[in-house]
Amino acid sequence: MTTYDLTLKVHRYDPDRDKSWVQTYQLTAGRILRFVDLLRKINDEQDPTLAWGSSCEHGQCGTCSMKINGKPLLACELLVENAVAQFGTTTFTLEPLGVAPVVRDLVIDTEKAYFRLDKVKPYIIRPKAQPGEGKEHLVDPKSLERYVTATRCINCFCCTEACIASHHNFLGPNAMLATIVRLMDDREEEKEERLKCLYSNEGVYRCHSSRACSHVCPKGIDVAHYIALAKAGAF
Amino acid sequence: MADRFKIRSTVKCDVLIIGAGGAGLRCAAEILERRPGARIIALTKVSHPQKSHTATAQGGLAAVDPRDPNDANIFHMFDTWKGSDCTADQNVVRKICESAWEQIIWLENRGMHFSRDPQGKLSKRTFGGHTRNFGEASAFRAVFEADRTGKGIMDTGWGECLKRGIHFIHQTVAVELLIEDRHCAGCIAFQQKNGTFVQILAKATVFASGGSGQVFKVTTNCRQNTGDGLALVMEAGLPVMDPEAVQFHPTGIVGPGILASETLRSVGGILRNKDEEPFMAKYAPKMKELAPRDLVARAIESEIREGRGVMNPDHQIQHVWIDLRHLPAEVHERQIPEVVSFFKHYVNLDPRTQLCPVRPSNHYHMGGIPTNEFGEVQDAGQQIVDGLYAVGECAAASFHGFNRLGTNSILELITMGKHIGDRIIERLERESSVRSDIAPCRFQEKFAGYFAAGGADHIGQIRNILRAVMTEKVSVFRTEAGILEAIETLRELDERARKTKLTQQSTAMNQELVQRWELDNLLAVSMAICQAALHRKESRGAHFRDDFPTRNDAFQYHTLVSTTDEFGKVELGRREVDMTIFGAKGENYEKFGLIERKY
Repeated sequence: MTTYDLTLKVHRYDPDRDKSWVQTYQLTAGRILRFVDLLRKINDEQDPTLAWGSSCEHGQCGTCSMKINGKPLLACELLVENAVAQFGTTTFTLEPLGVAPVVRDLVIDTEKAYFRLDKVKPYIIRPKAQPGEGKEHLVDPKSLERYVTATRCINCFCCTEACIASHHNFLGPNAMLATIVRLMDDREEEKEERLKCLYSNEGVYRCHSSRACSHVCPKGIDVAHYIALAKAGAF
Repeated sequence: MADRFKIRSTVKCDVLIIGAGGAGLRCAAEILERRPGARIIALTKVSHPQKSHTATAQGGLAAVDPRDPNDANIFHMFDTWKGSDCTADQNVVRKICESAWEQIIWLENRGMHFSRDPQGKLSKRTFGGHTRNFGEASAFRAVFEADRTGKGIMDTGWGECLKRGIHFIHQTVAVELLIEDRHCAGCIAFQQKNGTFVQILAKATVFASGGSGQVFKVTTNCRQNTGDGLALVMEAGLPVMDPEAVQFHPTGIVGPGILASETLRSVGGILRNKDEEPFMAKYAPKMKELAPRDLVARAIESEIREGRGVMNPDHQIQHVWIDLRHLPAEVHERQIPEVVSFFKHYVNLDPRTQLCPVRPSNHYHMGGIPTNEFGEVQDAGQQIVDGLYAVGECAAASFHGFNRLGTNSILELITMGKHIGDRIIERLERESSVRSDIAPCRFQEKFAGYFAAGGADHIGQIRNILRAVMTEKVSVFRTEAGILEAIETLRELDERARKTKLTQQSTAMNQELVQRWELDNLLAVSMAICQAALHRKESRGAHFRDDFPTRNDAFQYHTLVSTTDEFGKVELGRREVDMTIFGAKGENYEKFGLIERKY
């Protein structure tokens, strides 16, 4: 059995004392344990007070996003042996994402991160007239093909974390994706408001085209491609 | 110190939804759409509604398209009845199947990104157990959004509620229901982020708090699915129904338990034991790997039980192998790419050249809070609790009986969510005010007790023992001796839990405090499962008793379990199964009698 002796340096925050510090945990772990398993192991064996977030733990919900050695990723998808290979070390620094205030330790106030999404109205604002009782709108599969990948976004905010512009005025890549999808979706009739939002002060022109969003997306979405389409007005 | 457990504020609303997953939000959206301005508060235990367990559902939604000349609602009803092993309620089955297509259209018209056929219509695919002409041939009945149908429902429900002005309270759990004389007035909620308690009073309260998969060590369920809703209603003196009806998927990926879809076996994957011998022919000589879910799950468990399993050293879980190495590259690339990527992601191996570890994984709780066909919660005497509704996996109406068909779970969320919305709209027209005279009586003592304990035990370790014993003794195989052993262990764990000291005194984002509360819920739900499983001396659907391996129709009823003040002591009751389709003696009624579940 292969095991690794790991050092985790976890950024902690205690809201009761308004105090931040870095705490070091040593643990031995098998090769295919995931980082969420490591955090649970710390809770069960060393320190039940360490707070961290997760939900589905298989890459479908985006709750466990955090920065590990500086890279925003999903802790449920990072296996010990892959982490050691990828980062070339057995010492890892775990930090909460910076897209919302920290509640405690690695838990951020996700609700506040979502304010960015709420602003772009992640629903159909003005739906096309219903095609008749019991009928669906016809959506050409070729047209769907153009934006379907963007609908895989789980709002883990890894892209917004990595984006070099989104810590200022930019609403961020995932919020842009949500509105671009509805611009490409024929069932949305309210295109004008969407375009205004897209080309607003907080919109796509804040993007510096670093492509960091595409690089870190756990769902493999080429986010930058969609933002480029939006910049070109090519919906 | 007692200050921490004071109610900080009281909020009044029209409708309180406990759990903002697919079911809760479909219900809320219906009310907001038809009664704009209704004040709805939705609590979500997770950090945001989009993170709910609904979002992980992959397969699809079963619904008969009225334009389809080859399919009919009656076939869907029959499949559901047969799949349930004659324990679904036929009034509920009829209601859900008949309203299914309308709800698909509701989702589509509001922007869900369903997969399409070349004409641009909704694509359909087949799913296990769904047939036309009463079992004659597979039915193309499931509409889907690629392999993320649940996410589509979640995104649509969340978007519609956001659009129409719902008020979400995030990372918040209901800790006490306000019930008196069969009337529910709302709940006391604990807000995890700031560690405070609020009282929420509502004209209607809807439980939509999801499943209980964390009772078991290997599960496909989210970390938050700790059976809170079931525990809370039992604490309020109400029963749960059919808690022993728990479904296990045969092939969960070791160790997280993620689903490795049926497709792996249908494309030719072979199950092998630790000696790499194929073993399915021993259990199902003809069907082998293609035998039904529960049979395959029992075959795998048998191999493991008889010492032919393999121990995964990292996760400390026994498993068998599924062999995909012989399949052509094209199958790997075209037919099973997602599952192949799961093995790469979570086990770091290549299914083209390596054996893949799988074992049965807890998947779904058919049992839950008993309701009628309108989602109104019933007490042990089957009287309605005024103002209280339940929907989704936490509820049992019962659409699934003792075994759920694939693609029927998320269908239940959207149809029953809508029907309960209808019912509540009627109620809101009658009720002009909330009741504020029902005082809470339990939560303060409970939470104070958590902080007062002084022993040096450990919540996480107690939970791990609970999950291990439930997996070992009360999952795929059950025997009287095994269940009694589990009950004894649960009693010991309850004692240990009561004495366990919390490490930190703060209530704000105190994860250990929430886990302590969840542990009480897991203990209560586990005990209900055990007691009902002990009582049911037969095998039906997903409930398999090694000592009573066949179905005995003297048990063709729903089990009701109510708790008492003494942990482990329960009161059992029964509810008859609704057989109105059979009783109406209409066309094909004989298909809805006590038929065999044989495929």
